[in-house]
Amino acid sequence: MKSRTLQRSRADLLFSFILDIPALLMTVLFIIVPIIDSVIKSFQDYGVRNIISKKPGVWNDFANYVYLAKTDGFLMASIHTFSFVLGVVLLQFLLALLLALILNTEIKGARLLRSVMMTPWVVPTVISALIWMWLFQPQYGFIKYLVNLVTFGNVHDFAMLNNPRTALAGVGIAALWKQIPLMSLLLLAGLQSVPQEINEAAMIDGANKFRRFVSVTLPYLSPVIKVSISMAIIENFKQFPLFWTMTGGGPNNATTTLAVLSYREAFVSMNLGSGAAVTTLWMLMMVLVVFFYNRVFRVQDLG
Amino acid sequence: MKKIVVFLLVLAMVSASVFAAGKTEVAPSGPVTLKVANYALLEGGYEPFWKQVKVDFEAANPDITIEWVTAPYGEIVNQVVNMAGGGNKVDVIFGEIDWVPGLVDAGLAAPVRDILPAAFVDDFYPDVLKSFEVGGKPYGIPLYVSPYVLYYNKNLFTQAGLDANKPPKTYDEMLSYAQKLSLLKDAKGNKVYAFGQTTASVPVSGASLTAMVFNFGGQVLDAQGKLAVDNQGFKDAFTMVQKLDQLGYNPQNAKLKDLRNLFALGQLAMYYDQSWGFNGVKSINPDAINFTASAEPLKGGSGAGASLLQAHCFILVDNGDARKAALSKFVEFVISEQTLSTYLRDLTPAYPAKKSMATMESVVNNGILKGASAAAGRVQVQSFIPRISDLNLELCSLAQAVTVGKMDVAASIEKFKNTASVKISK
Repeated sequence: MKSRTLQRSRADLLFSFILDIPALLMTVLFIIVPIIDSVIKSFQDYGVRNIISKKPGVWNDFANYVYLAKTDGFLMASIHTFSFVLGVVLLQFLLALLLALILNTEIKGARLLRSVMMTPWVVPTVISALIWMWLFQPQYGFIKYLVNLVTFGNVHDFAMLNNPRTALAGVGIAALWKQIPLMSLLLLAGLQSVPQEINEAAMIDGANKFRRFVSVTLPYLSPVIKVSISMAIIENFKQFPLFWTMTGGGPNNATTTLAVLSYREAFVSMNLGSGAAVTTLWMLMMVLVVFFYNRVFRVQDLG
Repeated sequence: MKKIVVFLLVLAMVSASVFAAGKTEVAPSGPVTLKVANYALLEGGYEPFWKQVKVDFEAANPDITIEWVTAPYGEIVNQVVNMAGGGNKVDVIFGEIDWVPGLVDAGLAAPVRDILPAAFVDDFYPDVLKSFEVGGKPYGIPLYVSPYVLYYNKNLFTQAGLDANKPPKTYDEMLSYAQKLSLLKDAKGNKVYAFGQTTASVPVSGASLTAMVFNFGGQVLDAQGKLAVDNQGFKDAFTMVQKLDQLGYNPQNAKLKDLRNLFALGQLAMYYDQSWGFNGVKSINPDAINFTASAEPLKGGSGAGASLLQAHCFILVDNGDARKAALSKFVEFVISEQTLSTYLRDLTPAYPAKKSMATMESVVNNGILKGASAAAGRVQVQSFIPRISDLNLELCSLAQAVTVGKMDVAASIEKFKNTASVKISK
C-alpha cells in the first residue's frame, strides 16, 4: 500500500516535471542564456563589428568596468535610479492605498471611477511619455499655463523637464500617473478580501477606525502590499521609455538613469561591452534590492 | 583649416563644364534587389520624393528592385546593425555625415571607390570628399552639403524696426538685434525668442555646437582626432551659449525640431539649422517661405565665422559584385541633376556636392539659400573619430551645464574635458 502510494507520488512528480519542461526551456533559452551571455560580454571588448563579422569578443581585463569608474556617469546614474525608485514607489503606494480605500467605500460612481482610472494603465508607456512631454512643454505646455494662472503670472517660465533640479520629478509624475491605477486595483482586491466579521468583532471590542485599519486590515493586506511594491520596484528600476522619450537623459544628465546609460553605451556609442557592464551591475543592484526588500517585509503569519 | 574654395567659385560661375559620369562596367546578372535603409520615408514631406525615386529608377532599370528598410531617424542605424548581425545587410544607408565613422568602425561601410566608378567620384569637390575620409579613403558619398545656416524671420525683423535685408554678421550685432526682437510678442501674445541654438541631448545638437565653436575660431578635435578644447574659441562659444540663456533669448534645451517648430510659428526670430531644416519649417507652416531668409554663420571673437560641413549622404555596403553594380547605378541615378533638381528647389535647400551640378537652376536661384551662399567657402571639417556621437552628446551636456545647470563655464569645460577624453579614447 505504502509503496503504491510512493510510486504514485513519484509518477505525479514526473508528470509535473514533464508539464514544466516547456516553461523551463523557455526560461533557460530566453532569460538565463541571454543574461549569462551579457555578463560574459561585459568582460570583453565587444562592439558592433563583432556582431557583423561574427567574431567573438576578446577578454579585456575588466576594462569596461574600469571605464565606468573613470567618470562619475555610473555613480550619478545609480543615484538617479535609486532616487527615482524610492520616490515613485513610496508615493505610488501611498496614493494607490488612499485611492483603494476611497473606492472600497460605498461612494457613488465607484464602479465608473474604477473603469476610468484604469485608462492611464492601458496607454502604452511611450504614448504616456509623449502626452506628459507635451503637457510639460516649456513654450506652450498646459502645465506652464496652469502654473502661470495659479501663481497670478509670477511664475511664467515654468519648464519642469528643462530644469536639472526638477526633471527627475517630472518623469516621476508621468510614472505615477501610469502606475497608480494598477496598484490601486491590486490593493482594492486585497481590501475586499478582508473578512468583515473580524472587522465587526474588533469594532465590538471598541477598536476605533485607525486601530482596525492597522490591526485588522493591514495584516490581511500585507501579501498584496508586498507583491505590488515588489512589482513597482522592478518596474521603476528598469524604467527606460519614459526617460528616453521625455528627456533623453538630460538636462545636464540629471535624468540619466542606469537604463539610459546602458542604452547609450550599447546603442549610441555602439559599445556593447560597456553597455553589458552597466546592465550587469544594474541587475546585481536590482537583485540585492529585491532580496533585502523581501527580507525586511516578511509576510506576517496570519495563522 | 580646409576650405571648399573651389565650391564657392563654381557657385558664382555662369556656366559649368558638362560632365558625363562613367558607366559601370559590371552588369548585374539577372534580377537584383537593393535594400536601401532610409529614415526619410517616415518624415513629413520626403516620402513622395523617395517613392518617385523608386518608381523612376525601377522603370529605367527593370532588372533592379528597390526594397526600402525604414525606421525613425533615431533608430535606423540600430535597425541596420541588427539586420547585419543577423546576416541581412542592407546595400546603402541614407544618413548624415556624422554616421560615417561609426559605421566604418562597425565594419559595415565600404570605401566608395570600391563601388562607384572613378569618373563619378572625381566629379565631387575634393574637399567635400575629404571630409568623408577615414584612413585616407572616402566612406560616404554626399547627395548635397551645407554649413549651419542662420535662418531668420524677415517679418519679425521688420516688426522690431530692423532692416530685413541686413541680417547680423557678428555675434555682437546679433545680440543688439536680439535685444529688440526679444521685446516682441506673437499674435497670440506668446514670447518671441530672439536666437535659437540647439542644446538638447541628441548627437546632431552636438554637431551644431561644434559649428558654433568654429564660428568663434575654436576647435574641438585636432587633426589626429584628439580632444583639443584648450582654445579661446571653444570657451567663447560656450560663454555665448550661457549668455544667450541668461538673457532668455534661446529656448532652453531645445532640439532642432523644436526650433523649427517655434520658427514656423513665428516665435523664434533667428536660429541655426542645417539648410535642409527648412523643410521641417515649411511642413509646419507653408507660409514660412514668405518670411524666411538665410544668412551666413556669425563671426565671434577672433573667428571668421567658419562653420561645420553637414551633409546627407549615402553610406555604401559591399554585398558582392552583382549588388555593387546595381548600387552604383542607384547612387549615380539619385545624385544627379535630373533627380535632385526639384528636390533641392522644393524640399531641401542645400548646395550640390558635385562640380557638374553647381549651376543648377534650383541652387543658383534658391531664394532661401541666397543669403548664406558665401558661407559655403568657410566650411571647416571635423576630424572623424569612431565615437563622434559620444563627443557630440558630451558637448550637449556641457551646453546644458552652463545654461539650465547654471554652472561656471570654465569649471564645466574642465568637467567636460575629463569625461569626453575618457569616452572618446574607449
